[in-house]
Amino acid sequence: MKHLLFYLFLISLTLSIPFEAKTENEIVADLSQGNVEISTNFLGAKILLFGAYDGKKGDDIIVVVTGPKGLVTIQKKEKIFGMWINTKKVNYINTPKYFSISSNRPIDEILDKKTQKLSQIGLNNLNVRIQPGTTIVDDKTWREALTRNMIKSKLWSINENSVTLNKNVLFRSYLRLPSNVVVGEFDVKILHYRNGELISKEKNTINVSKSGFSAEIYKIADNYSTLYGIFAVLLAVLIGWGTSLIFRRF
Amino acid sequence: MYIYLPIAEQPIHSLAILGVGTFLGLIMGLVGVGGGFLLTPILMFLGIPPPVAVASVANQLVGPSVSGVLSHWKRSNVDFKMGSVLLVGGVVGSSIGVILFNFLGRVGQLDFVIKVSYVIFLSLIGGLMLYESSRLIFRKRKGRVSRGKLHQHNWLHGLPFKTRFRKSKLYISILLPILIGVIVGILAAIMGIGGGFIIVPAMIYLLGMPTSLVVGTSLFQIIFIAANTTILQASQNQTVDIVLATILLFGSVIGVQIGARFSNILKGEYLRLILSMIIILVSLKLLSDLVTVPSDLFSITISR
Repeated sequence: MKHLLFYLFLISLTLSIPFEAKTENEIVADLSQGNVEISTNFLGAKILLFGAYDGKKGDDIIVVVTGPKGLVTIQKKEKIFGMWINTKKVNYINTPKYFSISSNRPIDEILDKKTQKLSQIGLNNLNVRIQPGTTIVDDKTWREALTRNMIKSKLWSINENSVTLNKNVLFRSYLRLPSNVVVGEFDVKILHYRNGELISKEKNTINVSKSGFSAEIYKIADNYSTLYGIFAVLLAVLIGWGTSLIFRRF
Repeated sequence: MYIYLPIAEQPIHSLAILGVGTFLGLIMGLVGVGGGFLLTPILMFLGIPPPVAVASVANQLVGPSVSGVLSHWKRSNVDFKMGSVLLVGGVVGSSIGVILFNFLGRVGQLDFVIKVSYVIFLSLIGGLMLYESSRLIFRKRKGRVSRGKLHQHNWLHGLPFKTRFRKSKLYISILLPILIGVIVGILAAIMGIGGGFIIVPAMIYLLGMPTSLVVGTSLFQIIFIAANTTILQASQNQTVDIVLATILLFGSVIGVQIGARFSNILKGEYLRLILSMIIILVSLKLLSDLVTVPSDLFSITISR
């Protein structure tokens, strides 16, 4: 009987914690731009993320942006007859084609390594998998090559000290999408930590799509590829013919 | 002004592309050779993915070939019968080339094959052009110009299916021009070139065609090879960037006209000497990219 009462007490306690957490700690966030359009003059995008949180001195905010996931292929070059040729390749599936982490101070100061690993915060902690059926020996080297090359192409990034906190109430951060960004839905997670514990979070999305002239061309080239090819040839014939007409006079 | 290329999927300064097109047109107008074999490497240096560069250059090639043929046709310098036989081979060859292109892309060796083909052909052309132009300059200084044989007979004239080409004053086997067409077609598809620098010497030395007809006839068949390549690249590999091709085209038509104006003032052999040096430099740059240790042995491809 004593035990049962103790358990009941425990259950009521665990039930009440999330309730209180919800009412006490809230976080709201918004984006300056929820839709990014890749048009003819697209050079990348800079989006302002801002919001308010119920914070205390010493609290931290981490923003994680995850783009669409899919296949990323890594190739390794080897020297053959004095030339560097791609010889081996590994396909990584479930790989985010965009991933960024922003925080108000170095992540190692906010979270211990174990928590970083568990919550997939950190470029080497992402849950990417090698395509089944591939056998590789030095998988660590390949995994590092993936991270290194994704950083180089500006698709993965860690931006420590890029979240600005104001009076433990307001936060803001600029999210940057490079010009080679892929289209799709980008999940924005805003995480509020206190002493290394997650106390509240908020979700948002950015939609990246192609628009305007270049989007139309891409669609036509994709859906009506043969017609597109014929049109490309006819256009070139027309320009060639037109110039010979114009310059004949001179 | 930056412009986002829809197929290459990257922004590039439109004036850079226009400038490249004009430069190539200038060479075409001045020297008379198509600059296609320089265009693809330059686009690759600018960061355009090699497959897109190759296919878009094939597309832009249609334009100057059309205007070239029209002006040669007016002077009656086109052997349409020979051109048609060549283009039969060319269409077959470029179709094979596009299939090969697709296969190489799937096994991940396309960029390498494109670069190696360019190193081989550019050093070959550059070397030959350097030799020919410097010899001519040297001989002219000495004051003698020799003349080669007009017509040679060899084993190639013993092949079957002989046909008469009235315009070219030839009676040769139809197999030879078809074979030349096939080879040029394959190269056109893989390298994004018209193959003028291969087909012109082949027509003169292997077929024995009159030099006056060679350029017009080769341009005639290049139109069809380039058109076939463009349509197949677009439908099989989705690598034709129409925006890139059109900007290049506008640049090159302007360049050709400027170049043609100045071609009478400047001496051909000196121009060819300079051009040969540019070609050799480009091939050396490509070669050094292949043989130097890459900064990162690993590279990524992100599927769309």
